[in-house]
Amino acid sequence: MSTASLQEAPGRSVVNAGRPGKRRSNRVGSRLAGLPWILPAVLLVVGLIYFPIGFTGYASTLDWNGFILSTPKEVGTANYAKMLGDDVFWQALWHTAYFYVITFSVQTVIGFAIAAVMHSKIRFGAVYKAIVFIPTVLAPATMAPVFRQIFDQYGQFNWLLSHIGLDSLTRPWLADPGTAMPVVMFITVWQWTGLTFILYYAAMAQVDTEVLEAARVDGASSLRVLRSIVWPMCRGTTAALAVLGLIGALKTFDIPYLVTKGGPNHGTEFLGTYIYQTMVQQKHFGYAAAIAIALLVLAVAGGSIMSVRNRRAGRDQ
Amino acid sequence: METWGGTQRHLSRTAALMSVALLGMSACSGAATTGAPASAGAPATAGAATTGDITWWGWTPDATNATKLIAAFNKDYPGIKVTFVSKPIDSYDSVLGPAITSSKGPDVFDVAPGSANGGVQTFAPGAVDLTDTITAALGSDWKTKVAAAGVDPMTSDGKLVGLSVGAVYSGWMWINQDIFDKYNLKAPTNMAEWKTVCSTLEANGVGCFVQGAAQWAFDMDTFEAICDNIEPGLYIQATQGKVAWTDARFVKAMGIWKSLFDEGIMQQGAIGLQQYPDANNAFMAGKYAMVMMGTWYTQYAVKDSMLAAMSAAGVSNPTAMTLTPVPFPDLAGTGKTGSMFGDADYGFAVSAKSSQQDAAKIFAAWLATSQTGQQAVANTLNQIPALKGIGAQWDQIDLVNSTKQQDALKAYQQAASAATEPRFATVSADLNTAFRDALIGVATGDKTADQALAALQAVPPSK
Amino acid sequence: MFDVHSRASRIGLQILATLMVLPFLFPLLAAIQGSLGGLGIGNYAKVFNTGIVATVFTNSLIISAFTIGIVYAVTMLAAFGFAKLRLFGREVWFWVLLAALTVPEAVLLTPLFVVASTFDLYNELAAVILPLAAMQVPFTVLIARSFFDGIPTELMEAAKVDGASILRVFWSIILPLTRPITATIVVLTLINSWNAYLLPMLMLNDQSKQVVTLLPSFFVSQYTNDQTGVLAAAVITAIPEILVYLALQKYFERGLAAGALK
Repeated sequence: MSTASLQEAPGRSVVNAGRPGKRRSNRVGSRLAGLPWILPAVLLVVGLIYFPIGFTGYASTLDWNGFILSTPKEVGTANYAKMLGDDVFWQALWHTAYFYVITFSVQTVIGFAIAAVMHSKIRFGAVYKAIVFIPTVLAPATMAPVFRQIFDQYGQFNWLLSHIGLDSLTRPWLADPGTAMPVVMFITVWQWTGLTFILYYAAMAQVDTEVLEAARVDGASSLRVLRSIVWPMCRGTTAALAVLGLIGALKTFDIPYLVTKGGPNHGTEFLGTYIYQTMVQQKHFGYAAAIAIALLVLAVAGGSIMSVRNRRAGRDQ
Repeated sequence: METWGGTQRHLSRTAALMSVALLGMSACSGAATTGAPASAGAPATAGAATTGDITWWGWTPDATNATKLIAAFNKDYPGIKVTFVSKPIDSYDSVLGPAITSSKGPDVFDVAPGSANGGVQTFAPGAVDLTDTITAALGSDWKTKVAAAGVDPMTSDGKLVGLSVGAVYSGWMWINQDIFDKYNLKAPTNMAEWKTVCSTLEANGVGCFVQGAAQWAFDMDTFEAICDNIEPGLYIQATQGKVAWTDARFVKAMGIWKSLFDEGIMQQGAIGLQQYPDANNAFMAGKYAMVMMGTWYTQYAVKDSMLAAMSAAGVSNPTAMTLTPVPFPDLAGTGKTGSMFGDADYGFAVSAKSSQQDAAKIFAAWLATSQTGQQAVANTLNQIPALKGIGAQWDQIDLVNSTKQQDALKAYQQAASAATEPRFATVSADLNTAFRDALIGVATGDKTADQALAALQAVPPSK
Repeated sequence: MFDVHSRASRIGLQILATLMVLPFLFPLLAAIQGSLGGLGIGNYAKVFNTGIVATVFTNSLIISAFTIGIVYAVTMLAAFGFAKLRLFGREVWFWVLLAALTVPEAVLLTPLFVVASTFDLYNELAAVILPLAAMQVPFTVLIARSFFDGIPTELMEAAKVDGASILRVFWSIILPLTRPITATIVVLTLINSWNAYLLPMLMLNDQSKQVVTLLPSFFVSQYTNDQTGVLAAAVITAIPEILVYLALQKYFERGLAAGALK
């Protein structure tokens, strides 16, 4: 059975999936018929995710080195007070904000563009698609040493620059916060555009080719068709990616940790890396827990606000 | 470190004894190989367990050396099976914590002094007191028989948490002698010479000095070497709160640190690289002629270790290069050079949850206190052994270039054994982090020396 | 999407596509090149000579298989419950699941250890499998629910008229329709369980229970770092994942297309 035939209401997205009212009457069973079905998932998640959240909340009121056998000291809200006065914490937040805006925009543009090109008549399309998606499959830990080498003073990137006449641009890219952050963003884009691409690619497969043909007959250019017809039809995908991207940006850890350790000079510090370093290196488990709770609050709040807005936008359509 | 005064006196005595002992090195080691092993390594629980199956966790040594050490142990104790599990250094603490809280964890695990990974203070609650074990092995005057780096820094609240296996020292540099000879250069002894060496090398397309300055533990080594050059012992006193970091002598030291970057001694982009793997691999690949590494680099004076290290750094068909250790240059112009500082590299702790504590203690005591065990450690050239009077058997070691290296290596090990100052043992985790921000901040020019030192001073001194 | 008729524009588009794809290829080539430094192909021999390759692959395979199995079962049931059955407080339950998406892994580690020791699961593969599944389930439920939403309820109604139970409807009518979303769940869960690093490192201490992501660390210790070995190990580790993805690519894309994220 073709998946297309299962689809209705294009433009619906993940974030307004539960729009009430529409299908309620169609659902079957008594008031709680669904409960046994969702219970395994709920138990798994509550037991293994919510318990740790509670534990972390408790630990955020302690001065503790994180080793189970050593005795913690109660400090109340001191960790939170410390956090609000901690420059590195605010720096990490600011990094997260612009990291999110930039990586999300770039991934969206490139992912969308590649998806559009791959839906055209292209040779080796299957190979190209695989190449773009493979980075998503690889563990960041696998690729971190490679990127450190590529962006080194004597790395392949500088080699490339000097061979295309851009000698003046060569530099040790990871040595300066001003260039280390772009490198971290580049790696993020490299790794995750595959997912953006594949989602747009999938979404574009749903676009009715007759609509496109009709537009072309009317004389619309390819770019114009993309912008005025295809892009709006992918709105749901874009909205979902925006929410997932925000959560991902707040959780950013692997790439900056493995490539720059949050440096130089905290230049690529994110909440995730700061939590890890505080917890593991400095052994201030309680303080790390407080930052973790702040991160959770931000992620839940950010995710909900964006979802509600998307839902409204979807309804207004 | 309340007992510091006493420790220091003790340390200098140790040092004196050590140098004497080293002069008779070959004699000692000769004796060691023929000595009766079991008697020297007899632990507190002698006779209680000569069979067992124990697991040893550590971030060091590497698997090859661990295998050698275990093989040597099994010649004396064939009934005790030891399994070494190598754990990555970055995550050692997170992994060890859960493990020694459970009975399924290791029986023996590596610990280290101070704020480093596997911190003695951190993991003391999970380890048993080894005072009885070492007393049984070496007698009640055991403190006089082992290097000081393995006594107080391995103790937490009166509990001997770990038996030091050996120590590593830093403070000197290593040079690629082949490159220096090729361009007719001598190891620099001051800033002017250093700059000349660098310009000669760079004119010939060879990098001069390489440091992975993002991995700030090695920046701290360089900085401690600079401070020692200004006034030996100054750095340690500051870590103990006896001298303020804002002292004018530290302002001078910070100035020298900064000048390494401004004068082009540090390679471009140093701040973006890790010492391991980046700087190490660049040096091993022959791209640079000098590097700030410590006694653990001695192993690369040996031909096969060097070849392995070079091919690991990506060199195809390598020809072993000749490494020699040289003192840190006299950058401050005081004439006070050549001092080294170091800590117990690792010690053996026995897990309180272990069901095989007797066998575990036998293994720990054998490696840390017996002649045979310590000779095996010495021959890996990874650490300076904890037990006094043991040194590497140079005549049995296949050096890359014995004529050029042997004297330098002997002088080096002698300087190491004479060292009385700790490396990280007196640095708290918070001070360690503050050092990262201070040294890297000054290097990039984001902080002035005064700002950086004020930040160090703001860290409460360790207890 | 791009309508190309002339030969020139077709070539132009081909060049454009190539230029866009090259930056993705470049780092992959650099990885392979790095893994061939020094001993060349010998680096791969070195990885196999560690003698743990079979062990780590077996363990990762077991962990991935069980994680996928649990995630699949739990997700299918929940998605059906959310999409097709009446449920009081549906959106509250749903958000309880979704909020878990925001928790960073590092935060979970110490508390999860407490859980694992309470149930005596420390050093058991289950201590890795269950948390991995729990971290994956929110996302898969999210996409599977929308997929189920897209299945016409009339199909169920018809079956119900014929007197089939809900369980039977689920089993014989709904499940056969879910092949695309199954492929999507399998691929996404495989990526996350195969690449899991922190959890296995923390929860499994036996050498005999190590997983593939720990293979590169075999070449790193305090004072040595064999970069060529690290890269060769990394390449070996990545190959099975890539193969599985390529094998399931067609269904994986269909599943995503039919899931919510469109």
